[in-house]
Amino acid sequence: MTTRARIRDGDQQAFGDLFDEFAKAVYNHAYRLTGDWSAAEDVVSLTFLEAWRLRERIEPEGGSLRPWLLGVATNVARNLRRSARRHRDAMARMPRPEAVPDFADELIGRVADAQHLDDVREAFVRLREHEQDVIALCVGTGLDYAEAAEALGVPVGTVRSRLSRARKKLELAATRRQVRGDRGTAVRPVKEST
Amino acid sequence: MNVFPDERDLSGGRHRDLKEFVMAEIQTRPRRNLLRPMILAPVLGVAAAAAVVLPLVLGGGTPAHAVEKNPDGTLTVTINEANDPKGLEANLRGMGYDVVVDFVPQGKQCSPRKRSDSWVPREQSKLTVFPPTVDMSDDPGYQLDLAKIGPGQTGVLMFAVGKEDRYVVAGIWAGISNGPVAPCELVDSDGAPLEVD
Repeated sequence: MTTRARIRDGDQQAFGDLFDEFAKAVYNHAYRLTGDWSAAEDVVSLTFLEAWRLRERIEPEGGSLRPWLLGVATNVARNLRRSARRHRDAMARMPRPEAVPDFADELIGRVADAQHLDDVREAFVRLREHEQDVIALCVGTGLDYAEAAEALGVPVGTVRSRLSRARKKLELAATRRQVRGDRGTAVRPVKEST
Repeated sequence: MNVFPDERDLSGGRHRDLKEFVMAEIQTRPRRNLLRPMILAPVLGVAAAAAVVLPLVLGGGTPAHAVEKNPDGTLTVTINEANDPKGLEANLRGMGYDVVVDFVPQGKQCSPRKRSDSWVPREQSKLTVFPPTVDMSDDPGYQLDLAKIGPGQTGVLMFAVGKEDRYVVAGIWAGISNGPVAPCELVDSDGAPLEVD
């Protein structure tokens, strides 16, 4: 029996294996959409709860469940606020992170993230949501057009056109940002040394 | 183009913690009590598009839909059975709102997709109040601000509906047309149910 069929039939062991295989992919996809690692953890939990509830929609035959899971995650991330209210009880039971285990690593991560955010997030968040979705899926996660179409429930041509539009917008924004960045380099070392 | 930071693993024991949480949840919660998903029909179009979802319990003698007026003048619309769009439309028209209501099942779209020659710009036509300003945690529904529909304008409410087990999950597309709108004829489509031009 395929993994798809096992999960569809309610096999919790198979579902646990699915979590192990794709939690990281969902986590990173969720971060790309939310810009918040903590929120991304919540999206991971809610996505797999939703996936379990929706398991009967899984076709018994087919390829990897990654596109389908990322589609569920996309919707969960987009609706996290409402989702949180609906899942209030579950959210309250969610395990919270303990103390940061390695402050230096975390700090480095934050600096790197901040630089990325400075460079990218502003342009990214100005995209339309459905453009963000295809960028996150195709550029961030590496899904091909067909997989992204499966994830989003839209035709392949729609993915292609959305991706094209989004890329043009980001490239334009990156060009503008480069101009601003060049002007700003004189003060950057001072800021970094303080 | 390096758009995103490098990928991370779930730190430390978080993978284990989250997995244990999810597995415990799915083992202990009866299916009928699982909360409804936030699965939205992809929404396209030039006019206002606000999508939310809600659980709709079939059967049980509950009314097909309910409309409640809130103190701030908005409405809370709850759809219990997605089978009577024109009944809901009549209710809303009876309250003085010039609206058309259509339910669009999965695999269908309204034809024509261009139902109006002139849509009110999105920022002026948000008929849905989202996030809601009234508590709907016990009785999920849609909060609507139909007072935004001006004289001569027509509010358009399209609900994407699907049937699964005992539930119907619906998304909403809401917009305002400057003038009348073409009737919705449901036709087969592999696009998003609420796709409009």
